[in-house]
Amino acid sequence: MNRVLVVEDERHLAEGLRFNLEAEGYAVEVVDSGEEALERLSPGSNSFDVLILDVMLPGKDGFAVMSELRQSAMFIPTLMLTARGHPGDVLQGFEAGADDYLTKPFELAILIARIRGLLRRRKWLQAPAARGKDVFTFGEKKNKSVNFDSLELSAGDQVFRLTLMEANLLRYLIEHEGQPVSRKTMLQKVWSVQEDTDTRPIDNFIVRLRRYLEDDPTHPRHLLTVRGVGYRFVAVPSA
Amino acid sequence: MVVAGRQKSIAFFIALGAGLISVILLLYIGWVLLKWHAGIMIFFGVLLTLLVIAGVVLNTIFLVREIRRNAQHDAFINAVTHELKTPVASIRLYLETLLARAVDENKRQEFYKMMLADSERLITTIDQVLRTGRLGASRRKPDLAPIDLAVLLEECIARIRTLHDLPPDALSYQRSSDIAIQGDSEEVRAAVSNLLDNAVKYSSGNVKVTVETARVKGKYIALRVKDQGSGIPQSELKRIFKRFYRVPGPLATRLKGTGLGLYIVRSVAKRHGGRAWAESAGPGQGSTFTLQFPVSK
Repeated sequence: MNRVLVVEDERHLAEGLRFNLEAEGYAVEVVDSGEEALERLSPGSNSFDVLILDVMLPGKDGFAVMSELRQSAMFIPTLMLTARGHPGDVLQGFEAGADDYLTKPFELAILIARIRGLLRRRKWLQAPAARGKDVFTFGEKKNKSVNFDSLELSAGDQVFRLTLMEANLLRYLIEHEGQPVSRKTMLQKVWSVQEDTDTRPIDNFIVRLRRYLEDDPTHPRHLLTVRGVGYRFVAVPSA
Repeated sequence: MVVAGRQKSIAFFIALGAGLISVILLLYIGWVLLKWHAGIMIFFGVLLTLLVIAGVVLNTIFLVREIRRNAQHDAFINAVTHELKTPVASIRLYLETLLARAVDENKRQEFYKMMLADSERLITTIDQVLRTGRLGASRRKPDLAPIDLAVLLEECIARIRTLHDLPPDALSYQRSSDIAIQGDSEEVRAAVSNLLDNAVKYSSGNVKVTVETARVKGKYIALRVKDQGSGIPQSELKRIFKRFYRVPGPLATRLKGTGLGLYIVRSVAKRHGGRAWAESAGPGQGSTFTLQFPVSK
């Protein structure tokens, strides 16, 4: 049975979520603060398969909880569920390391579908047979590769774990290899954010990706800046 | 993110102000040293310099205030968004659940109660936002009529008891006679309800609220709401009545609110020629809120 941890301080919502997720066959635990969530997810305690995380929590908020989890290499699939639906908030959530983001009020069927989606991905990651199917190899010596199934990026002998959003962004840039892609297009295609919003979080994502895949992140050769537009991915840089 | 940005801009404006003043002082001292013999010019120079300094200081104060006000406004928008969306999300979730799943009768009744409580929360938020708009914008005088404050109080207490599912002794009122006031019953009801609701909300589970009414100097009727809850620091006793203001700290995140309740209380008191104030021995010591209205003639 899959285990879901719900972090929600609104008692009514938490109870409604518990009822529905239990009806779907999940084992559900509810906590009402960020600190408690971190404690429940600390190494050594019971493991969970999915985390549903509210943002406006007493004490540590959802963004802080998310960042701390990712910094301590806890890659539990996480859906942020919050009233804060401004594009800036959505991006902040993804930047903190969320895998999915749903704003309140939400449709029950969509929530359940998204949880299933997160679990599916986790299952793929855990099944070794499924690994290695969706791999893109690049670099002058073909020594770098990104595995979109296991969300792992290998550069030389180093392996980096990507968040879902980092992987989605990289996949989009790879699909448009050689072409400049504007920040606005990335927002629309990768994050599904339509409104005009601050595009700085994208630059932060790029900085992180460069750290993984560039030999020298200060002189990028794969993820190039296109001035005034956005970025361009180059699989095999010319000498 | 936004707040951190604002803190930076406040620091920038303070640094700018201080920098400008230093430059002016430097120029002034230099000028005095060079032209020490031109006495009258020095006098005008001093005057002009003081004027410029006053201008820069005023400008800095204004900017810092404006930035703080914007930060409060942002916090208010976030709070209202949360207070509107959360109960709607909950009601919707329960409606979808009832439509899509087999729910036994006991659970069904429980869901109905939660939806009712959520709709009540929604109505309270909407009422507070609309009332604040009306109190702030209109020059309309309150619709005055004699009100028996004891009757109005008992109605409000009964509503709050049901809303928070409280036993009778959690919220007690010793009824006193001859306490009619001259007021707009809708506005007075809103102010009294806000005080009672706050007293329950900030009691953190240990709800022991007493309400008293008394005549003061024959001219006023005072209504006192006393709780044994989280209390208020001395420095915050006046600020809590400001629009959008919420005492910063973990309590403000745990107990959701718009920062409008006490602003409405104070505005209603003022519009009726009365006043409202708070007393508290400090955090953890409980608090007493007093609302004073002119007596009905």
